[in-house]
Amino acid sequence: MAETANLATAPNRIAGARKGFVRKETLIALLFVLPGLALAILFKLVPLLRGIWLSFLETRGFEDPTFAGLANYRTMLSDPSVHDSFRNALIAFATLPVWIILPLVLAFLLFQKTPGWKFFRAAFFLPYMIAPIVVGIMFRQILAPDGPLNAVLRAIGLAPLAIEWLNGPTSALLALTAVALWSFFGLGVLTYLSGLSTVSEEVVEAAKLDGARFWQLLFYIIMPLLKSVIGYWAVLCTSGILIWMFPLIYALTKGGPGTATVLPEFLVFTTTFQFLDRGLGAAIGMALFVFVAIVSAFVVRRMYVEGAQKK
Amino acid sequence: MTSISLAAGRRSRSARAMLAGIAFASMTAFSGPAASAADTTTIRVLNWEPGGADYWKALVAEFETLNPTIKVELETVPFDRYPEVQGPYITTKSGPDVMENNAGLELFDRRRAYEELPPEVLAAGKDLITYSGGCLNFDTTKSCYGLPFGYQGNVMYYNKKVLAEAGLDAANPPKTWDEMNAACEKVKAVGKTCLAIGLSGIFPAYWNFPEVARNYLTEDDMRAMLAGKMPWTDPKMVNILKGLASITEKGWTNSSAPSITMLPDGADIFQSGNAAFAGTIISDAVNWAAFGKILGDENLGAMRWPTLVADAPLAGSFSGIESSVFGVTSWSDKKEAAFQFVKFIAGKENAELLTKVAGGISLNKNVDPSVLPKSQALSQILEIIKKPTLHAGVLLSGQEADALARGWQEVALGRLSIEDWTGRMQKALEQSPSKRQ
Repeated sequence: MAETANLATAPNRIAGARKGFVRKETLIALLFVLPGLALAILFKLVPLLRGIWLSFLETRGFEDPTFAGLANYRTMLSDPSVHDSFRNALIAFATLPVWIILPLVLAFLLFQKTPGWKFFRAAFFLPYMIAPIVVGIMFRQILAPDGPLNAVLRAIGLAPLAIEWLNGPTSALLALTAVALWSFFGLGVLTYLSGLSTVSEEVVEAAKLDGARFWQLLFYIIMPLLKSVIGYWAVLCTSGILIWMFPLIYALTKGGPGTATVLPEFLVFTTTFQFLDRGLGAAIGMALFVFVAIVSAFVVRRMYVEGAQKK
Repeated sequence: MTSISLAAGRRSRSARAMLAGIAFASMTAFSGPAASAADTTTIRVLNWEPGGADYWKALVAEFETLNPTIKVELETVPFDRYPEVQGPYITTKSGPDVMENNAGLELFDRRRAYEELPPEVLAAGKDLITYSGGCLNFDTTKSCYGLPFGYQGNVMYYNKKVLAEAGLDAANPPKTWDEMNAACEKVKAVGKTCLAIGLSGIFPAYWNFPEVARNYLTEDDMRAMLAGKMPWTDPKMVNILKGLASITEKGWTNSSAPSITMLPDGADIFQSGNAAFAGTIISDAVNWAAFGKILGDENLGAMRWPTLVADAPLAGSFSGIESSVFGVTSWSDKKEAAFQFVKFIAGKENAELLTKVAGGISLNKNVDPSVLPKSQALSQILEIIKKPTLHAGVLLSGQEADALARGWQEVALGRLSIEDWTGRMQKALEQSPSKRQ
């Protein structure tokens, strides 16, 4: 009888034990997740919500803010300097293909052990290790009308190219973007090199035996194999162009001439801290957040589509 | 056995005595500094080091000697980057105990960050020629938030050597806009820049705008500007913009002007001897002493900016203002010590240091003028400042100052008309929180 009873209760006990184990596992998992979640809420969600709330307030200098509804957003939409900054952001973003292709080409050259590859592997990464503010100060001198760049151009007979780089509206923005690329591309080379280390040399050799040249190898063999790495790098570059340019703008152009190199992030800063209009600054910040989110979502989505297709 | 235990007992007693000795020594050694540390208050002072590093070193040493219980910790930020550092402190209501600020509207804008000066601190201002720039609407009967120490304003410096090289009479520098234009043609002919200038940042608003504005505005007009009642569409304001634009349109300036700042870039061009003129200020940074040191006192002259409208009421005046003011932050928990520092700033001891160490021009009436260094540029400045008027630059809001600089950059590059610049200035005025009606 007692044995029968024991047999009957055994599955219950096992189920109970399993339940207890699952509960314990869930609890441990929760404990591991909790600190990260708390940090994300504290340092990501709360500031974001505060930013959204601030964008609905009118802030007169340092006086107590009052609720203003959508007034800041209306001001933002009618402000030409905001339009200019987003137009500049789009122009800078249009250079993304260069940001993606240039490091890839260089990484592939290194991967193929082109003469001097060891030196260049270190040299390419060096600019990334210089603080952006220092890079900005350096290039302010280099790009001056009588600076070293124009002196070199004049010395090698390319005087017509020795323009006033930071004075022209287009040249200033392109110069700023080029300086940012110079500072950032080393990381791209390193990222691509880590991706290339997973590519079988036999595949490359086989393609070479079939007569594939450098560009054919790059476009038809390497790029398809590195799609996920390219996607990852594209997301990094997108954020780099749209929200990490501030120190360069600050040191190089201060947004000038006029608003030629003002990007939205710089405008958020000047509006908030120079003009003391925190509400409007927050509204522009929200617009930038949405802008970056849309652009990044597009790039990330492409990555996941590629990933899903592979599976 | 007995001898061993006796010896052990002696060792034990010696060890105890030694430990007690160490403990006593430690107590006496640490009690002194601990007590003095507790009595000392350290205040943090945010500043842009007007007058230079040597002057500030001397200032802190003098203050600490006179106030042995207060230590000063300086947080020094370059002038052109000051608003970017000060802004976050004010927004977050945290940071230094004392802050430097430009007098006038910029201070009024930020008055919530400052403690109103109590009468006993304000009494230190009685020895100053003026301290109204630290008080609301330039009125000493209203709330005051900071005390100044030096006199400040705009002059144009000239390099006599470059003028002579261009065949100009260094003893008679240009007095009118037309004479300036003729002089610039000659300077350009010898391959030098006529007027070193940088149009980036806040310098066009503070250093150039007031000198053209004096040709078109009266003091009442300036007060209307301060109150936000002078629209930029007013013909007088439009004429100021036209006057500024003519500086770059006539080709007086360096070609890099639209993309550089006056400090340090524009001043560097003048200091390097590659420019004939530079419009800067009378004291603090890039003053007659700094230029004289590099170019040689004998090569440096100072003059009023050339006039556009010779018979304008303020054309022959000096745009003067208290150089900067120091106030106590509203969030400071060391207000007593901080107020003590503000009083010292306005006092005679500091005034003498400013004069002797920095070659500055003090506002304190008790300083003996004979202690001033001998320099021709300084003598010229002392003549120029005798006929002061309001400084129009400090009446501009942050938005107006920014729109003025960016607009001028684009006008200089031929990308913006005066009409559009006027429109932008008006919009900036309308968006200025401190000038909203």
